[in-house]
Amino acid sequence: MSLPRITHLPSGRLLSTILHHQLLLPSIIPLTVPKRAVIQGEYRRPGQPKKTKFAWQKINFNFSKGLEAIKKHFTLLKKEFTDRWVGPEGKPIVEHMLEQNRVVWEFRGPESLREWTVSSDREIGGHSEAYLKLGRNNNTCFLYGTLSSTPPRDGETRYSGYCTMRSKQPLASFDRKKHHDWSSFNTLQLRVRGDGRPWMINVSAETYFSHQKDDIYCYFLYTRGGPYWQDVKIPFSKFFLTHRGRVQDDQHPVWLDKVNTIGFTLGDKADGPFQLEIDFIGVCKDYAHTEEFAYEAYKRNPEV
Amino acid sequence: MKGSRCLHQLKSLRLLSHAGRRLPAAAGDSGALFRLHSSSLLGGSQCPQREVLRHFHSSPACTKSQPARFVQEEDKTRDKSLVAHDDLFEQVAKETKTKATFNKVIDVYTKRDIRRRGHVEFIYAALKKMPEFGVEKDLTVYNKLLDVFPKEVFVPQNFIQRMFNHYPRQQECGVQLLEQMESYGIMPNIETKVLLVQIFGEKTHPMRKYQRIMYWFPRFMHANPFPIPKQLPEDPVDLARFSLTRMANDWDAKVTVYQLPCTDITDSGAEVTLPHIVGIQSPSQMEALAKHNPCRPVFVEGPFPLWMRKTCVYYYVLRADPAPPEEKIEEPYDPERCLMYPLQLDLDLDRDLGDDESFDVEDLDEGPVFAMCMTSQGDQATLNQWISGLQQSNPILGQIPTLFRLGAGPRELQGVGDTDSTSGTWFPSHAHKEEADPGEDAEAVVEEEPRRSQGVKQ
Repeated sequence: MSLPRITHLPSGRLLSTILHHQLLLPSIIPLTVPKRAVIQGEYRRPGQPKKTKFAWQKINFNFSKGLEAIKKHFTLLKKEFTDRWVGPEGKPIVEHMLEQNRVVWEFRGPESLREWTVSSDREIGGHSEAYLKLGRNNNTCFLYGTLSSTPPRDGETRYSGYCTMRSKQPLASFDRKKHHDWSSFNTLQLRVRGDGRPWMINVSAETYFSHQKDDIYCYFLYTRGGPYWQDVKIPFSKFFLTHRGRVQDDQHPVWLDKVNTIGFTLGDKADGPFQLEIDFIGVCKDYAHTEEFAYEAYKRNPEV
Repeated sequence: MKGSRCLHQLKSLRLLSHAGRRLPAAAGDSGALFRLHSSSLLGGSQCPQREVLRHFHSSPACTKSQPARFVQEEDKTRDKSLVAHDDLFEQVAKETKTKATFNKVIDVYTKRDIRRRGHVEFIYAALKKMPEFGVEKDLTVYNKLLDVFPKEVFVPQNFIQRMFNHYPRQQECGVQLLEQMESYGIMPNIETKVLLVQIFGEKTHPMRKYQRIMYWFPRFMHANPFPIPKQLPEDPVDLARFSLTRMANDWDAKVTVYQLPCTDITDSGAEVTLPHIVGIQSPSQMEALAKHNPCRPVFVEGPFPLWMRKTCVYYYVLRADPAPPEEKIEEPYDPERCLMYPLQLDLDLDRDLGDDESFDVEDLDEGPVFAMCMTSQGDQATLNQWISGLQQSNPILGQIPTLFRLGAGPRELQGVGDTDSTSGTWFPSHAHKEEADPGEDAEAVVEEEPRRSQGVKQ
């Protein structure tokens, strides 16, 4: 299903086909579709020049920053070596094997906000705003802003008006990618306080092929609104696969052994201010939940 | 406009082709004109028992002899100039835009030309104009618009046509129509399916889109654990009642209407609009308030937004800060509260790490919430009225100092913190009695609850 994000309409090429027909070509001429490359880099707003920077130009040769970076990376490296003596992933093995609940993100101080990236459709030229700060008593994170669904006037965007908060990819020493291993859990639990808007939780896992880069597993987060905290429990079997905002036909459950990021996005086409407060995000193992996957994989060529 | 350009091209090429050019029947071509030519060649080889519907597949020579039938349009002139299909809608726009006029435009279009020239552009224009006419959530209108497509022309006849995206522009148009239905959350019905099969055939993109909608929509239709009715109540008091019961999450909570909205004309002739004040409080909140220490203040905070689909309402909260640890009293459970099972067990059992089901997170104690209210005008006077109304059932409010922490108003909230109160004023509650304006509750309005604000003056 199309989440209200950008959709690129292939422009009609009626004129070219009419011209082709005038040449009396007997063969079938398929309609030319604009080149939408499957592998894409960063989004480039239409009208902006292509910035081709060579690889060596991207390196920053700043001395003090370099020293800080060395210190940080070697500390992380040392921690990695010493953690192995404690147990897998730095926890004693008893805890690693038997734990039922794990709090993955807890917003108890300003450094917890640095793990999150907030963006809105301002990047594509829209008018929404989104900000992140610590909530009352520095105990929660407070995501707030305004949504505006006027699409940017670039000729190809039709829908707009979204904002998102996404966790950063966990990094080991020397900026190597690290993944969350949630294979022993089956439920996502969070405590939120929203304002009644329906949000969407996006879990992004590590993929092998570059085509799968934008594969995101999504599910809805319905907030009740009001002054009370809301405990939300979503089993991972309910997450459905989407790619670039479109729900895919062949579905499979999310593989929890290499989870990269989690994100919250709002795009409910209601213009106005929004707010969401999150207390903590954790994963737990619910023994009562035995469902493996909530959606059947149906046939590739089903009958009507 | 692209539509007018295409139409112009089609009209100009029609003039050219009438000069005697015959184009070979090529599958996969687009445009109304060439479809006509190609199907005219196919039309000769059709079985004679086809229905009358296919009479427009006959050769253009025959149709030229038939008089063109024109339905009376609004301006009654035969439009020979460049006409974008938007113009039809704009002509109607001078009258009121309703579903009936929208249907009339579609009828005018379908009856105007039996060949339905430019139907793709017309459908795109109609889809864009739907919100203006207010019919974007109406399934019958979508079905009627889908009916504009000529039937059985775009159905692929053999495997090559099925492979090669037969009539791609029309298929894309069908997909866009279904996508607009999907984005407004309208579930298609069997009539849509029949129309799609008649127009595009099975195993085509619009049919696949329809199947996807029919697969995913029923799954997510009732996914909301806090469902909101499609039609929210129009009356602000009813809306406030509904949203307060939604937020309170307590069956025992009672909604009280402290003031109904009305317009009053004072002696000087000025109009005074009185806002509605609807409050909610549950018995457990009343108990908690009764046990509250009078030395510590309570705060009236707001306005906080609550969204229900596309409506945003604002509510105010009466709460207190959490009591410091030394003042917390652990009251033992009353064993007679529940006779089914014991509420407290003094067993000396240890839980293993594998059985621990609680999260290792400190419990956020933000203090109790004593009551909530909704009003259209969130100034201090109105909220004062609410507090005085609350005082009827919670007499302790007379001794507790009330602090007003009102936000910037129904705008983007800055998040009221502990240290910064934008307009915090110290307003001792014993001054409520003098401040309550007698002029505000002089209406003789019959309500189901007794008027709380009248009893304040003692």
